[in-house]
Amino acid sequence: MAHAATADTTPEPSYLEVTKGWKSWAYTLDHKRIGFMYLIGILCALMLGGAFALLVRAELFLPGETIVGQARYNELFTLHGAVMVFLVIVPGIPAALGNFILPIQLGAPDVAFPRLNLASFYLWCIGASLMILSIVLGGIDTGWTFYTPYSLTSQGAVIPAVLGVFVLGFSSIFTGLNFLVTVHKFRPQGMGWFQMPLNLWALYSTAVIQVLATPVLGITVLLLFVENFLHIGIFNPELGGDPVLFQHFFWFYSHPAVYIMIIPAMGVVSEIITTFSRKPIFGYRFIAYSSISLALLSFLVWGHHLFVSGQSRLATMVFSALTFTVAIPSAIKVFNWVATLYKGDIRLQTPMLYVLSFLLLFTIGGLTGLFLGILAIDVHLHDTYFVVAHFHYVMMGSTLVAFMGGLHYWFPKITGRMYPEKLGQLCAGGVFFGFNLTFLPQFIMGSRGMPRRYWDYDPEFTIFHQLSTVGAFILGISLFISVIYLAWAAKNGPKAPDNPWGGTTLEWSAPTPPVLYNFSTPPEVPEMYEYDDLVEDTVNGGWIRKPSTGPKTPKHH
Amino acid sequence: MSEPHDPDSGHHGEHDGHDHGHGHGSRFIQHHYDDASHQFDSGKLGIWAFLVQEVLFFSALFVCYILYRTHHPEIYEYAHHYLQVKFGAINTGVLILSSLTAAWAVRCAQLNQRKGLILCLTVTIACAVGFLGIKYVEYAHKIEMGELYGAKFDPCATPNETPLLTKSKLCKGTKSSVVWNKDTGKPDAGCIGPKAFRINAETHAITAKCTVDEVKFALNGDKKTEQSRRSLEPCEMEREAGGESKPKKTPCFLIQANENVCGAGAGALALYGDEEKRGDDIGLDVACVDLPAVEAKADVFATPETTTTLGAKQIQPIAAKTDAEEVEELESSPPPPKTNMFFSIYFAMTGLHGIHVLFGIFVFVWLLIRAIKGHFTPDYFGPVDYAALYWHLVDLIWIFLFPLMYLIH
Repeated sequence: MAHAATADTTPEPSYLEVTKGWKSWAYTLDHKRIGFMYLIGILCALMLGGAFALLVRAELFLPGETIVGQARYNELFTLHGAVMVFLVIVPGIPAALGNFILPIQLGAPDVAFPRLNLASFYLWCIGASLMILSIVLGGIDTGWTFYTPYSLTSQGAVIPAVLGVFVLGFSSIFTGLNFLVTVHKFRPQGMGWFQMPLNLWALYSTAVIQVLATPVLGITVLLLFVENFLHIGIFNPELGGDPVLFQHFFWFYSHPAVYIMIIPAMGVVSEIITTFSRKPIFGYRFIAYSSISLALLSFLVWGHHLFVSGQSRLATMVFSALTFTVAIPSAIKVFNWVATLYKGDIRLQTPMLYVLSFLLLFTIGGLTGLFLGILAIDVHLHDTYFVVAHFHYVMMGSTLVAFMGGLHYWFPKITGRMYPEKLGQLCAGGVFFGFNLTFLPQFIMGSRGMPRRYWDYDPEFTIFHQLSTVGAFILGISLFISVIYLAWAAKNGPKAPDNPWGGTTLEWSAPTPPVLYNFSTPPEVPEMYEYDDLVEDTVNGGWIRKPSTGPKTPKHH
Repeated sequence: MSEPHDPDSGHHGEHDGHDHGHGHGSRFIQHHYDDASHQFDSGKLGIWAFLVQEVLFFSALFVCYILYRTHHPEIYEYAHHYLQVKFGAINTGVLILSSLTAAWAVRCAQLNQRKGLILCLTVTIACAVGFLGIKYVEYAHKIEMGELYGAKFDPCATPNETPLLTKSKLCKGTKSSVVWNKDTGKPDAGCIGPKAFRINAETHAITAKCTVDEVKFALNGDKKTEQSRRSLEPCEMEREAGGESKPKKTPCFLIQANENVCGAGAGALALYGDEEKRGDDIGLDVACVDLPAVEAKADVFATPETTTTLGAKQIQPIAAKTDAEEVEELESSPPPPKTNMFFSIYFAMTGLHGIHVLFGIFVFVWLLIRAIKGHFTPDYFGPVDYAALYWHLVDLIWIFLFPLMYLIH
């Protein structure tokens, strides 16, 4: 190999140093740089969406007008939802962390279509700009779901917002398509489907949903755009159209989108939980299969968002029954993760703290979903704070917490530096505490009839709203501090070893930070989730492979 | 997006001297692939996944089509007569030919036949442009005739070109005065100048079963209707209702049209009291006071709530009709409610398809330039293959659209 000659000269520069100047980033085709840029963009969007959330919570601190009026309040929760869903949670794990990690875990030099990958990032930027444009042009007040017919008559800047969603949809499709092909075509010899890390199974399942579901959102918001623009009438009852059809189309994407958000989070959790338990993952095949079955089942349950929208009785019953089936693969995963912890040598570092939070929050979020799947109970709880709390437990408490866990887990690999561990643990605790304080009272409020999206409320709910607001600020501050210390550590943190956590998947065999094509020499496929081969490196920190396990023949290519 | 790989990739230049030792044949094999077949296979899987995405992108529109057709079959039955099968059929032929040349182009690229490749790509582009040209003719005609989507649906005529009263726009017509054909009970094309009209309920009101409440000089838009209404001058006139002993007062109106009112179907609109009280056999004559021999007959196409055609001449004894007569009758009757939805779906589907054809043209032009430069070789012809696959899908969607839109029976 060409590299043999350069092996004993100076080490190859890392992907961060190999070229310099803004152009080398703006035109880069390196999946790691694209992932890094995505990460920065997504963290900015997270702070923007978080600021909207805090404004919403501040307004609700007291009944009546607290800081903003009704119209402004409608815009705030709409923008919070739209920014968080379309700009943060959907692309969060796949496009930022996944982009960085997926090819390295495969031992591949890059994703299959690097150019498409960069296009995906720029589409994300355009989508984000259009969202911001809609804020500048007067905001949107339709809710992030853009339900017709209100979104056709709203005075807000609906047109740039739906155009933004359309563009972001294609950003997501391109990422999914890229990952799909990369996993199919770039697995090295020796890595069959069942030798893949579970994170790759998760990203693969996600990619399938991204490619199959997102186009339906694309055409739906395109029709909505045309509707606003040319009055084509397909969703407009005044012109003979059907507004409920919009809801069907919207949820045909947006329910699977929930799994675009949660499945990669599950992948991250699977990786971290085995590494920090120093134990092979329990039930590997079951976790892998459950990712795929979640991806498929996710297409069959959209109707449970329309239980009160005038669906036929038969359809509601079928959708309700199908909704319960989703609980099976989800529960399989949770049981396997818990079984992995059992008798493990558990290390409570920041990523693991986030993952343990995830286990608890996801369980609450998942189980309350079962309540909502029951037809009679859903009629009572529909459009209340119970629903708000439920989906925040899944989207924020699970996906975003797993994203933070994954971010800390791979942070040394991405930046080559360690973050401050103690501060990390403190903030992980703050996130867990603040999150529960925010959303547990909302379950109580919701079950007592507090409707969602209301600007004002009965005084009996005041104490719950106040607890919730205090919790939200604790949560917001913890996340804000996390972003700040991560940004600081990316420049000033202590140098990270190649394998700081003792992970067994391929990315930990790559240099830290990785070189341009990830591996100087084609890596051998390690024995996955086999922790006995690793020992702590007392000299440099981190973990190294025991010298006795001799390298196998290179298998890539 | 079917072509993520650009040949002039910075990939090579950026990473000079970083060769993994792969046996790259063509200079367009990118660095991160093992070899030409690895790149080709990856691209092939990618384009198939993209096409699956495309199918789903169109699927929502097909769902719209199915849904509205299930709920409103009558509007499909009616409105497809507006479409010209001739144009649709020619376009189908054009697209199938272009699919053949696209497939042939792949073959040429595989066999390193540069001239054949250039020829096939050129024919494909020509067909695609021709398709859009024909589509343009169709669209232009629909725009002119008001056969449009949603709120803009306001046709000048029924499918067999029987003029209709329009709500909002001027339909192109002759400059002559409007002439109502008394035999058919329908207006011929025409134009009413700024004249005074007298609407006389007498002649055709002999068999009236209810009184006429209001007569609107309604033609070219609600604004003008309002204008005319203000200038209504009721004049009382005694008349005898046929067979009825009790004489009734029937309104008679003098209407001043202040400006030119042009269009096929120009006439006056009469509203006859409550819907359930309306008789079927009421007619009104509208005559221009100072224009001899021009008579207009009231028709009621203009507003949604009065779509029932009224007028003595429309009443026909019920008799068995032949298929041709039924089609003739359907084509000459005013559109059923929600016919606009057919055109909404028609324009959404054919419009999106047209955008795909347009995108295909850009891709094929790009391929043509590269073919002229000689980029494609037997070990690097992926882009031609992928574009052809894309083109087959675009063709296939049209193969579905053509019968679903044009050939309904």
